[in-house]
Amino acid sequence: MLKFIIRRVAWTIPVILLVIFMTFLMMRQIKGNPFQVTERAVNEATQRTLDRKFHLDQPWYIQYAYYVKGVFTANLGPSLVQRDRDVNDVIKDHFPVSLKLGGLAMLWAVLVGIPLGIIAALKQNTKLDYAVMAVVNAGYALPNFLIATVLIYLFAVKWREHTPFPTNGWGGWETWVLPAAALGHAPMTFFARIVRGSMLETLQQDYIRTAKAKGLRWRRVVGLHVLRNSLIPAVTAAAPLLGFLITGSFIVEFVFGIPGIGRYFVNSVTARDYSVTMGITILLSMIIIFANLLVDILYGYLDPRTRDVRT
Amino acid sequence: MSKRFLWAALVGALAVTAIAGSSTAMTGKTDGSNAAQVLKMSIGSEPPSLDPGLATDTTSSNIILNIMDPLVKLGKPPALNAVPAAAASWKIRGAVVTLNLRKSVRWTNGQPVTAKDYVYGWLRTISPELGADYAYQFEGIKGAKEYTACDPKKADCNALRARVGVKAVGKYTLRVTLVSPQPWFIQQISHHSFLPQHKATIDRYGSKWTEPQNIVTNGPFKLASWKHDASITLVKNTKWRNAKSVKLIRVEHQIIVDATTAENAFSAKNIDVQTTGVASVNIPKWKKTRYWKTFKALGTYYYGFNTKNIPDANQRRAMAISIDRSQIVKYITKSGQIPAKGFTPIGIAGGPSILSQSTMPATAQLSKAKAALAKARNPKRSIRLYHNNAPNHVKIATAVQNFWKQLGLDVTIRPMEWKQYLQFLGPPPNADVDVYRLGWIYDFPDAYNGLVLWKCDSGNNNTNWCNRKFDSLIDKATRTPNTAKRIALYKQAENILTGPQGQLPIMPIYYYAFNMLQRENVKGFVENPTGQWDLAKVSIR
Amino acid sequence: MVVDRRADFEASLTRTAELRGDQAGGALQRASLLRDAVHRFLKNRAAVAGAIAFLIMVVFVTITPWLSPHDPYAIDFGKAYLRPSWDHPFGTDDFGRDLFIRTALGGRVSILIGFAATVAIMLVGILYGSLSGFAGGALDNGMMRFLDALYGLPYLPFAILTLAIFGTVNFWTMVVALTVASWFTTARVMRGQIITLKENDYVRAANALGARWYRILFRHLLPNTLGVILIFVFLELPGVILGEAFLSFIGLGISAPKASWGTLAQEGYSSYLAYPYIIIIPSLCIGWLILSAFFVADGLRDALDPRSQEA
Repeated sequence: MLKFIIRRVAWTIPVILLVIFMTFLMMRQIKGNPFQVTERAVNEATQRTLDRKFHLDQPWYIQYAYYVKGVFTANLGPSLVQRDRDVNDVIKDHFPVSLKLGGLAMLWAVLVGIPLGIIAALKQNTKLDYAVMAVVNAGYALPNFLIATVLIYLFAVKWREHTPFPTNGWGGWETWVLPAAALGHAPMTFFARIVRGSMLETLQQDYIRTAKAKGLRWRRVVGLHVLRNSLIPAVTAAAPLLGFLITGSFIVEFVFGIPGIGRYFVNSVTARDYSVTMGITILLSMIIIFANLLVDILYGYLDPRTRDVRT
Repeated sequence: MSKRFLWAALVGALAVTAIAGSSTAMTGKTDGSNAAQVLKMSIGSEPPSLDPGLATDTTSSNIILNIMDPLVKLGKPPALNAVPAAAASWKIRGAVVTLNLRKSVRWTNGQPVTAKDYVYGWLRTISPELGADYAYQFEGIKGAKEYTACDPKKADCNALRARVGVKAVGKYTLRVTLVSPQPWFIQQISHHSFLPQHKATIDRYGSKWTEPQNIVTNGPFKLASWKHDASITLVKNTKWRNAKSVKLIRVEHQIIVDATTAENAFSAKNIDVQTTGVASVNIPKWKKTRYWKTFKALGTYYYGFNTKNIPDANQRRAMAISIDRSQIVKYITKSGQIPAKGFTPIGIAGGPSILSQSTMPATAQLSKAKAALAKARNPKRSIRLYHNNAPNHVKIATAVQNFWKQLGLDVTIRPMEWKQYLQFLGPPPNADVDVYRLGWIYDFPDAYNGLVLWKCDSGNNNTNWCNRKFDSLIDKATRTPNTAKRIALYKQAENILTGPQGQLPIMPIYYYAFNMLQRENVKGFVENPTGQWDLAKVSIR
Repeated sequence: MVVDRRADFEASLTRTAELRGDQAGGALQRASLLRDAVHRFLKNRAAVAGAIAFLIMVVFVTITPWLSPHDPYAIDFGKAYLRPSWDHPFGTDDFGRDLFIRTALGGRVSILIGFAATVAIMLVGILYGSLSGFAGGALDNGMMRFLDALYGLPYLPFAILTLAIFGTVNFWTMVVALTVASWFTTARVMRGQIITLKENDYVRAANALGARWYRILFRHLLPNTLGVILIFVFLELPGVILGEAFLSFIGLGISAPKASWGTLAQEGYSSYLAYPYIIIIPSLCIGWLILSAFFVADGLRDALDPRSQEA
């Protein structure tokens, strides 16, 4: 087992190097001067000084080496554009916001989506079922910028006298509700669909029918057997959501003016803030890589057969 | 138990950690009644830096200038004369300026602000180690350019540093030696790059010295908190030399980038002043309210010609006078912009005189334009118009395309992303560019700051146009302290650009304006033509 | 947002491949299999409704620009922001351009980008996946390792980086940006398909008879994956169209005066307080297309894999 873990951890190193390399390669293809912010030309002396300061006058492999070193020493260097801040500061300030937003959205999706799915399944082929599934299906397909905009319009502008929600910002709980609902909406509809489907399937199983025939109380059957068995697919479906929560939050952060990492990433690309762009891309990639790693290790622990296959 | 379940568990764990983490960011709704002297306002971006040496943008500048005490402030427009602030008085002898500092100005840690703090700050800003963009503001000071350009590996930078013409000749006396008289210098030092800097703080905290817990300032307000990309709070500095005149006890800046979001915040009474901007479509609606405020700006939005591709001035004239500037400002920009008569803004000191012979029309002169085009030799009929991609630029380009169609010109619009665009324009511009869009906002209120762009060797002259006579007029202006004489020189230069016989390497389109939304109980909040506001003069009724 | 459904289809698709493998010996059997599938698809009401809805949208965006009397690019400031009327069913924009025709033209762009990017994703994925699956051995192992590493790349950041490299957003740069980090799943599924089919008797027989590798690949293996490819087109399309809308919404959309549903929605966002229908209409179009593609994909999957039970 230990050998497996060591091999698996060692394998992430070339993966990280590849991600750094690909990001670096792409960054270098982007034309533009990070030090010219407005149309005012940067004078030559300043340009030279700054290039020297941020190693931009060095050949590409030296610069690459700086980034690699930065990643492995957890010091991603200074921002090229926000001159009083380091990339580490940027991540420290903004990543927790995105993480929290994603977590709340997940919470919303679970707390709303699963009950909706259960209700729809228990009331299969009734008007309630149709109504729930119509909302879920329609909502599933709508882009979340529309959902976000509609939520702001209704709750923060039109009915603002009756609700505590502000239009933008990130602070107390009242600022979390609308963005979390907007971001959590798509996963919510997803959960509702999955849970309804698997509930219906479980309800058809022989043992449930038997239990029912034996005269067990219906509520107990649902509570004990059906729910437990039909929630497993919902839980497994949560897997692809991590990627969604990272990429999907760009739009929600934009519309609600939330200081998360997504909005920051877009700005850094526009500003040619190389170190920040690199830092955020690598951060997002590492989350995925380490999550994969953790899952693989735990999976290998639980199911020894997979160890050899997935080195 | 499946692999996917573990994923979910991981996501859940992350989520719980995130939720458990505390947050103290400030936003939230207020009841809108603002009896206390607390101003809530929006700003359009995170200030990239609150270091007077490194800041280059108006957002940073406006925070810095309110927590610091500049040597002089600018008076009323259009003259914008220097008014004593941290400097009680000054003497100008040729190219030597002597400033007498007020003894009552103190740092927030109680120490007096002395001439040495200025010398330190200015030399730090222009040092090759810092690499500040605004080092160029100091180029008029003797030896400054040489010091900035110094490569520590090749030359003795300390020697060059010692030769820069900034000296503390007494505890409270600062002497500046310029390369030429430069009559605008005293107005120029109202800019934030000429503020003093506190050496001990910078030495101690390095690049972190501008964080609220570290920063040492000397102005009417203090930096109380700075939540990056969320908010900045200033509180009144009760120990400031003129604290009695300051009404506001706290100013809460919310950083709201998106115009629509900021409008929502204003509508919902979350903020009293909205400086982020208003979405184009909503301008007519806001204009009808009493909240809408417009301030004239010193700045020009213009199209430049690549004079290698369009060498005949007749064609350039035809193109310049065939567009309808009044329609552009009325239907596209909509927020108080003025059709440009020439390159120099009309609102600058001496503006009307400088522009008296400029020829850019407010409404299109189509028949004149056609006549001019007929005179042009080998006119270029297929035009590639480049601009950076932003909604208003797209709209203006689309309108101009329509105007030029009536001249029989076939225009292709090429939008580009900002940074690539700047690189594409050079100078010299990429050969593919026929016409390009740019703008210029003045750093100091003298026509020189704009006209100098069109010198042959200027880093902002993307037109391939070069005129020795023009260059000599601009150089002469730096040696002409007499205002009337200098304005006469500017007029000659402006005529070479946009006069009746002008060369028109550029076609100015409109003069910029600033606008914002203000609730009616906010008093004294004005933006001067260089984009600065003075919170010390604001109150809430 | 479309949560990544492709992975959830994987199990079902593998079953389909096995099934087809069993029966795919001759042309006759293949034809009857196809007939069965078409029959099953037509009996599925949701799938047929989805297909019809999809076609209606395609017809709308194709025909409207030919029938409309308005010039989609002509500027008339006097007609700016007209409310919907008989003459302008969707109203006009800030230039006084008819939004009905612009919505149709935007739909053309969105759908064409969607299909082009889907085709690009399929091509890259199929090429990579089938090569890897067909080659087997060390090459397969290496290629899959590389793919595993690429799975660490977050999709949206790399699309943004790609657009920044091009500097200007047009049809083709958008297609490339949407393809760059989205072909990994397709590649993996295609490899699985090829490997499953490869084990079948008729392929072994062909092999034994000394058929050339490319003949086996193109005559036997790829044709038998066509059904899967078709399902994948409809699975991929919503994600791609939504991706385009996201990028447009954060300001990285196709350059004016051209428009897509995403850029139209972005224009609508800046004016939603005064003219909410300007953001709602293109968003609904996006939702319409996504939902219909969703039902078509479900129907196709059920038609090709009779054992699949999902509601």
